[in-house]
Amino acid sequence: MMSHDGMDDMADLLAEEKSQKPSLKDRSDTVDLTTDTSLMVDISDALSERDKVKFTVHTKTTLPDFKQTEFSVVRQHEEFIWLHDRYIENEEFGGYIIPPAPPRPDFDASREKLQKLGEGEGTMTKEEFSKMKQELEAEYLATFKKTVAMHEVFLQRIAAHPVLRSDHNFRVFLEYDQDLSVRSKNKKEKFGGFLKTITKSADEVMLHNQKDVDEFFEHQKVFLEEYYTRIKDSTSKADKMTRTHKNVADSYIKISGGLVQLATIENTDLSKFLNSLGDGFEKARKLEGRIASDQDLKISDTLRYYMRDSSAAKDLLYRRLRCLSNYESANKALERARLKNKEIQQSENAQQHARESFDHISEIAKSELADFKTRRVQMFRKNLIDAAELEIKHSKAHVQLLKNTIQTLKEA
Amino acid sequence: MGAYMTYKIVTKTNIPEFKKELFSVNRRFSDFLGLHSKLEEKHAHLGRIVPPAPEKSVIGMTKVKMSKEDDGTLAHDEFVEKRRASLERYLNRTASHAVLRLDSDFREFLQLDADLPKATNTSALSGAGMKRLFNRVGISVNKMTYKMDESDEWFEEKQQQLENLDDQLRKLHTSVEALVHHRKQLSLHTASFAKSAAMVGNAEEHTSLSRALSQLAEVEEKVERLHEKQADADFFVLAELLKDYINLIAAVKEVFHQRVKVFQNWEAAQQTLTKKRETEAKMHLAGKTEKLDQAKADIAEWEANVQKGQHEFEEISQTIRKEVDCFEKQRVIDFKSSIIKYLDSLIDDQQQLIQYWEAFLPEARAIA
Repeated sequence: MMSHDGMDDMADLLAEEKSQKPSLKDRSDTVDLTTDTSLMVDISDALSERDKVKFTVHTKTTLPDFKQTEFSVVRQHEEFIWLHDRYIENEEFGGYIIPPAPPRPDFDASREKLQKLGEGEGTMTKEEFSKMKQELEAEYLATFKKTVAMHEVFLQRIAAHPVLRSDHNFRVFLEYDQDLSVRSKNKKEKFGGFLKTITKSADEVMLHNQKDVDEFFEHQKVFLEEYYTRIKDSTSKADKMTRTHKNVADSYIKISGGLVQLATIENTDLSKFLNSLGDGFEKARKLEGRIASDQDLKISDTLRYYMRDSSAAKDLLYRRLRCLSNYESANKALERARLKNKEIQQSENAQQHARESFDHISEIAKSELADFKTRRVQMFRKNLIDAAELEIKHSKAHVQLLKNTIQTLKEA
Repeated sequence: MGAYMTYKIVTKTNIPEFKKELFSVNRRFSDFLGLHSKLEEKHAHLGRIVPPAPEKSVIGMTKVKMSKEDDGTLAHDEFVEKRRASLERYLNRTASHAVLRLDSDFREFLQLDADLPKATNTSALSGAGMKRLFNRVGISVNKMTYKMDESDEWFEEKQQQLENLDDQLRKLHTSVEALVHHRKQLSLHTASFAKSAAMVGNAEEHTSLSRALSQLAEVEEKVERLHEKQADADFFVLAELLKDYINLIAAVKEVFHQRVKVFQNWEAAQQTLTKKRETEAKMHLAGKTEKLDQAKADIAEWEANVQKGQHEFEEISQTIRKEVDCFEKQRVIDFKSSIIKYLDSLIDDQQQLIQYWEAFLPEARAIA
């Protein structure tokens, strides 16, 4: 006799399985929850083709700068990278934390697993094979949903930012209904990207060695360096943990399959018993799988996002540093000019301009870094609460499942 | 390497054949093997299913004896616990057998308040061991070449069932071993994650978030220990249960084989009797009356042997039927109770999990 609670949880489990459409509410975790609705962006659809993903970017706006109030375009990953790079290159945005670019959609792991499964088809029963295939398809779908979410969040952060949203390239990205033809540009950029990495490492060393006069920025530097290293490590460990948890869930497949097979050859009382047990393991598998993926979503992904955002914040510090470096060079140039009594006015103008740039970038950076902290605290809070609530929910369902199973087994 | 492990055995009984109701002795592993060997010798050929002794893992024990570092202590403890548990199961299985429990060697094993004579023929590398190894090979060859004329359907069916059962149990055992492995990995990775989360918490500048992250690290440490505990349950309750039954089935197959040997003896006796009769008939025809008395005596002897052979065969067949019946009943009880015990331990673990996360929740909510 299954208790009513038990049945409800079982129904819950199955219902959640069926609803695949992620809600808008779930996805905008990383964005400031502002009430400004003048520019709303979301990815309303996505199509996975052999080696690329096509995202449908949907915009709803009341801003006069756009030609229409509601429109959609199709974009691929490279075009998102193009947009991100335009922000990075733009000196005007030097003082802002540029939202980290979404990672490239990576289905290689899923595809490899699917292929391995196909090769091993002969070694397992039909049921086992179909279950494993189902699992892999679910994994593929989850990876797909994640990549959509990450591309969406990137756009939504920009759209919510009063300054970043005004960039012309952003508008083109949202509105221009043709291909942005960035593929060839990106090839050049790949090389440029390599050089950028070298410059970045040099920046890191420079940042690390320089002690800032400004206490706030000195503290930020020390904090961000340490924080980034640790959160990067934690992200990879969280990933390992959730992957292994998934392995535990998957190993239940062979066990429940084996139990059912054992039940068919049993000629004793154990037949019914083993069938029920096999059934129990199958349900437990779904639960454990759900726990693993929720952990992944709430904990691993939060860590991962803030790892990237910390990196973006560090980039801001580098840019400010380069600006400072320019200012110092301009100062020296002015001194030399005064000594030689040559081109003083020019040098004075250059120095003033450099100082203004530096002050400007420092001012913006301060508020951006404060904002970074607020966003970080908010997101961790929300996701840690969600994670704990989900763990409790799943464990309660697990207890119910175990009790029901024991009850059925005792009656068998 | 003179040191060895002894295990303390405590027996509680109300069977009158035992001298006391509560008593304990110390025995070493080789004593168990010696006991098993004696029981098998005395009972297997009569069709009784003798519970198999725990496996001698030469590699396992020497590895443990050799290693001196910390890792060695952990591996050592695990190994000893595994062995202790399997020895306990072995004794209880033997003790629940109506005939074996009263066996004099078994009672001496449990009661004798002194060291037992060292069982030398169990040492894996001794001469006796080699002899037994060859004997086993002999048996296998015999099993392959001799095809018994089975007139009893029950035996044919049962053997087939046992083969199938063996197959399935082995497969299931492998799958459970995989689960144990993954859960142990999960425990390790959770521990590693917990440490990293504590590090992030230490670096975090926002006070209440920092505290919450440290709390998260603590929860994950507790979760890690739960995973470890669960992996142990997976192993000690589930995997070892399956392993035991794989070994028990081997013991059941052994008595079936003994029956075949008894049948062979009977058949051989019949053949000899036929020959003796032929010899007598030939003598009669050839008129060799002096040897006739001898021939007649021979015939009488072999008629008795044939009768004895038939009787033994019928006895062993009957015993096996009873034993297998008992075995099946016991198997059902064993499986049911072990699995329910396993599931109960899982419930405990899940309830612990709920406690841990419920304690963490207010910490997360307190992030301001």
